[in-house]
Formats: sequence, structure tokens, C-alpha cells
Amino acid sequence: MIRRVWREDFRIIGYYTGLVTIGVGLLMLIPMVTSLVFREWASALDFAISAALTLLVGYILALISRTKNTPGLTHAMVIAAGSWLVAMVLSGVPYMLSGHEKSFLDACFDTMSGYTTTGLFLLQDLDHISQGLNMWRHLLTYVGGQGIVVLALTFLIGSTGGAFKIMVGEGKEEKLEPNVRHIAVLIWRISLIYLGVGTVVLGLIAIANGIKPHLAFFHGAYIFMSAWSTGGFAPYSQNMLYYHSSAMEIASMVFFILGSFNFALHYAVWSGNRKEILRNVEIVSFTVTVLTTFSLVCLALMQRGVYPNAVALFRRGFFQLVSGHTTTGQSNIYARTFVREWGPLGMLATTIAMAIGASAASTGGGFKGLRIGIIVKGIATDIRKLLSPERAVVTGHYHHLHDNVISDGVVKSAAVIVVLYVLIYVVGAIVGMAYGYPMVDALFESVSAGSNTGLSCGVTQAGMPTLLKIVYILEMWMGRLEFLSVFTLFGFIATSFRSMRLRKAAV
Amino acid sequence: MKRLCVVLTIMALGVLIVAPIPASAGQPPLLSTTELVENSYKWDGKTVSFKGEVLQDLMVREDGTWMNLSDGNNTAMGVFVPEGVAMPALSHAEDYRTVGDVVLITGVFHRVCVQHEGETDIHAVSVTVLTPGSTKANPVHLDRVVWFVVLAGFLGLVMWLYYRKPTRGTEH
Repeated sequence: MIRRVWREDFRIIGYYTGLVTIGVGLLMLIPMVTSLVFREWASALDFAISAALTLLVGYILALISRTKNTPGLTHAMVIAAGSWLVAMVLSGVPYMLSGHEKSFLDACFDTMSGYTTTGLFLLQDLDHISQGLNMWRHLLTYVGGQGIVVLALTFLIGSTGGAFKIMVGEGKEEKLEPNVRHIAVLIWRISLIYLGVGTVVLGLIAIANGIKPHLAFFHGAYIFMSAWSTGGFAPYSQNMLYYHSSAMEIASMVFFILGSFNFALHYAVWSGNRKEILRNVEIVSFTVTVLTTFSLVCLALMQRGVYPNAVALFRRGFFQLVSGHTTTGQSNIYARTFVREWGPLGMLATTIAMAIGASAASTGGGFKGLRIGIIVKGIATDIRKLLSPERAVVTGHYHHLHDNVISDGVVKSAAVIVVLYVLIYVVGAIVGMAYGYPMVDALFESVSAGSNTGLSCGVTQAGMPTLLKIVYILEMWMGRLEFLSVFTLFGFIATSFRSMRLRKAAV
Repeated sequence: MKRLCVVLTIMALGVLIVAPIPASAGQPPLLSTTELVENSYKWDGKTVSFKGEVLQDLMVREDGTWMNLSDGNNTAMGVFVPEGVAMPALSHAEDYRTVGDVVLITGVFHRVCVQHEGETDIHAVSVTVLTPGSTKANPVHLDRVVWFVVLAGFLGLVMWLYYRKPTRGTEH
């Protein structure tokens, strides 16, 4: 039986959503300072207005719903899903004020794409935006990768009993430490150390490539934030093509592969358990699926004679494939090259890689290597059971931080989420096809949105149908939060209406 | 015989004058990024003209200089100017407050450049500045200042109420 919704439920949800919103408002001060440094006065004012508005909304929510009660599981899920929607709308304000968006829906599309580390964009004239707005785009993707709630937890919420549940609602289910605030701080510590290292490495490469030193480290920071969070944004519309540099691409690829790994794996390695890299089921799964899909890409590209030699094929083919597989979306070819040159097999191989995606509890999206590993091991165990004598006890295992037994429940949970991903991929593709896009293109773009990848074959443009934009926004949101919290939010809204009707009937 | 030669010469000259001369015979076709990417096989290895605004970074390498030219909304092409090709002095490169120089280049388009490991690019043989860039106005609009002051005022009030008010609510 579904419980009724009371005023205190709204208060708890409102209060914590307010705190997350305050976090988003404070975040806007970073691009504002960036604009001030570059003397972009109009842009700085846009961010000041946006920050004031966001903080105002956050403080009003927190003020009118202030409570000492901690969130339960339902609240946590609603807060996680709801916060992302509120953040999407308010973070779209500086985009809109910049004059680089055709509509507020487009601005929301871009912010959802940023927070969910997707990387698709509808922004107009990207090559002429301010440094402040560029900082904002990459900051969104960096923060979104770690989790908006994780950010708020670190600085605002504290170690309440329900805090871990909110993090779970945001897709960070690995309990690395007993204290939830410590987990959030740990996630940020790992990410900030990598940010420092990544900015310096990529900045130095940018200088070596001929970019002015005072801009090189901004380029370094942007590309790192995009890579580590598996986001896929870049400061210019040519994406990685802007740099004409294999060193930049290789360094970025290292960071997006690292970013696609499970935070628990990072923590295990940081804690001295280096063997985990070789044994972890997600790494094994990632290696197998990358090799398989890359073989398909090679076959497609060689059949069509797209590249003149192995070096060119590897530099373009492997980068694109791994960028898709880690759900990053950085690109060193033009979007339409997929359609015009790679052909259906090359696109389908990349689509499969995007659909599988990165590791669980990482910044990436897609089915996740852990689920694929569990399902494959589950099938193998079932086959072994069928081939064994009836009395034999056959159990399957997978290694993720420690050895785990494959149970029907674990396989079922993994399979349910995979089926839901397939469902959103298919729905997005059908809507695309209904608008007249070819099947391969529609599927490619839908999977790219639903798995939070961001590679595009040219479907995503400001002129695309409004319904398709909304479908992609929903796909990005559901894909990033892995469905449960989004479904809970929908259920909570429906239950709220039912409770209101019951109360009215009682009166 | 002489008369026949004169007649044939006049006819040949007439044909030359009347016949349409394809644009490519004189000047390489002026193409956009979209045209080059959409029809990359058609233009591969051909000499083309390309016009665009110089984006911010001119990247000088050992064997030449890379520049990126923007020719529309979110479309740009990488142009490699090999060492030995005269590079005019550029006065402005694009940034938020600057309109970059608009240059016209003529060069060979590569669908997948062998020298640059499969990159789609143009190797320039000539670079000409068509329009020098300029500094853009970056005005702060008064109505936005007013919006900020109003929002900041409300924010100050709400923050004061939030931090002043004692926490209420009941523990379960």
C-alpha cells in the first residue's frame, strides 16, 4: 500500500532541494569571477543576476520549509530527481541572458546536457561566447559528473541520516566510508587532485601546441573537466579538432578513461589495493567490449576505405570509439562524418559502445560495465547449471572490490535497469524516426542522449523538433539518475494529488 | 585556303567569347565547412577557396601554422599554412570582445589528411586578409543592473530572515 503524503514530506523535500539550489547559486560565482578577470562586464552581470535569482529561490525554499527531520528513502529519491530539474531551469538563466540560445527550452537542454555529462548542445555561435559562459558550461559538466547532491552534501547538508540515500538517488551507491559527508569529501578530493594534475598537463600541452600561455591553462581546465566528467564539451565548436594535436587527444583520452572508472575502484587503488584494477569485473567487461566494438569499427572503416593508413584509422577510430564507450562524447571528427564516411556499421558499433557505457558509480552513463559483467556471468552460471548433474551445486562469482556471489536477485536487478535503458533508447529513436530521421541516425542520437554520451551525427540542432528536444532532455535526466529516483518523483507527484483528493473528500 | 583560315579563326574566337566559362577554370570554388564535410569525397584533393573569421589561437608548429576559421554558426574548418606560404600579418583574432580578421584562403582540401593522421583540413597555398577585425562593444545594460539590484535586495532580506529565524520543526 502506498502511503499518503503529508505536509512534512513537502517540507523535508523543499528544505533539502533549497540547500542544493543554494549550492548551485554559489557555483555561479566562479564563472562570474572568470568574466571579471577577462573584463567581460556584461557576462559578469549576467552571472551576478543568475546567482542572485538562484540563491533567492534556494533560500526561500529552505526558509519556508525549514525542518530538523531527516529524509527517508522516498524523500531522498524525490530530492535527488527534483533538485536536478530545479538546477536545470535555474542554471539555464545565464545561458538565456547571454543571448546565445534561441529559446529557454534550448537553454534547459544545454544545462541538462551539462549536468548529466552528456555534451550535446544547442548553443548558438559557440565560438563567440564569453570565457565566463565557457567556464559555466564546463563547470556544470564537472559538478554534474560528481553529482549536484554530492556538492551540496560536502558544503551544506552535513552528515544527516538521509544524506546517503539522496546520494544513492543520484547514482552514487558505493558506500566507501561510514560517514556520508566523508564520502562526499572523498569524491571531491579525488576529483580536485585530478583537476589540478589534469589542468597542468593539458595546459602545458596546449602551450606546446602554440596556444597563448594565459589561455592555455583555461583550455587545459576546460578539456580536463570535460574529459574527467565524461562530459564531452569543448570551448570551441570543432571540439578536439580545434587543437590539431594527438598529444591533447591522448592526454584527454587517459582522463576520460579514468573518469569512466568506478569511484570505489579509484578509492581502492588510492588505498593501496592496486591489484583491483586487474581483477575488477568492470575493467574486464570494459576491456572486452572496447576490443569487440573497436574490431567492428575497424572492419567498417577498412571496408569503406575511410582512412589511408593504420595510424589515421587508430587516431580517429579508437578515439571516437573510446570516447563513445566511456560516454564522453569528445570528438576529433566532424559530426556528419559519421553519416557521410563511417556508414551504418561504423555508426552501429559506436552506438553499441555508447549504449554499454562506463562503470557504475562513475561520472559516465549507459548500462554500465558492472551490469553487463553480472548479466554475462549470470548467463554463464545458468549454462553451467544446465550442463552439470542435477545434484551439483553450481554458483557463479564476480569480482567487484571483493568476490561476490551471483544470485538471481542481483542478475534480475541488473537486467531490469538494462531493459529500462533499452526502452528509453528505443523510444527516443522512434520519436526521431517519426520526424523523418533515418533509423541509424535516430538510434545513434537517442542512445547518445540516453547514455549521456554526447556524440552527434547531426540530428541535435537548434532547429530540431521541440518534442524531440524534450524527449532527449528526459532521456538524459533518466539515464543519469538511473530511473529509480525519477520514477519515485513521478509516483510522489501522483500520490500527492491522490492525498489532496482524499483530504478534500474527508472535509 | 587563307579565307577558310580566317573564317575558322573568327568562329573559334566567337565560340570562346560566347561559351560559358566554368568558375573553377579561373578561381577555385568558394566553399563552406558544411559543403566540404557533406561532400567530402567530391572535394577531396581539390583546390578550393574558403573564407572565415580567424578564431582565437594561431598555433605555430615546426612545419607550419594551424588556424581555425569560423564560417558560420558552429561551423569552422582547420587550415594548415605550411612553412613557406606567405602568412599576412593578422591584426585581430576572435574572442568574446573581438571580431577576428576575415581571411580568404586558397588551398587543397583533404577529406582525411595523410600528413595530419586523418584530419579533415585545408592546406593553404595563399592567405589574404579580406576584412580586418575590430573590437566589439561590451555594454552593460542598465535594465540588467536594476534587475540585479532588486534581486540582491530581496536576497539580502530572505537571507536575513533565514539566518535570524530559529529552527523549528518536530523530530519524529
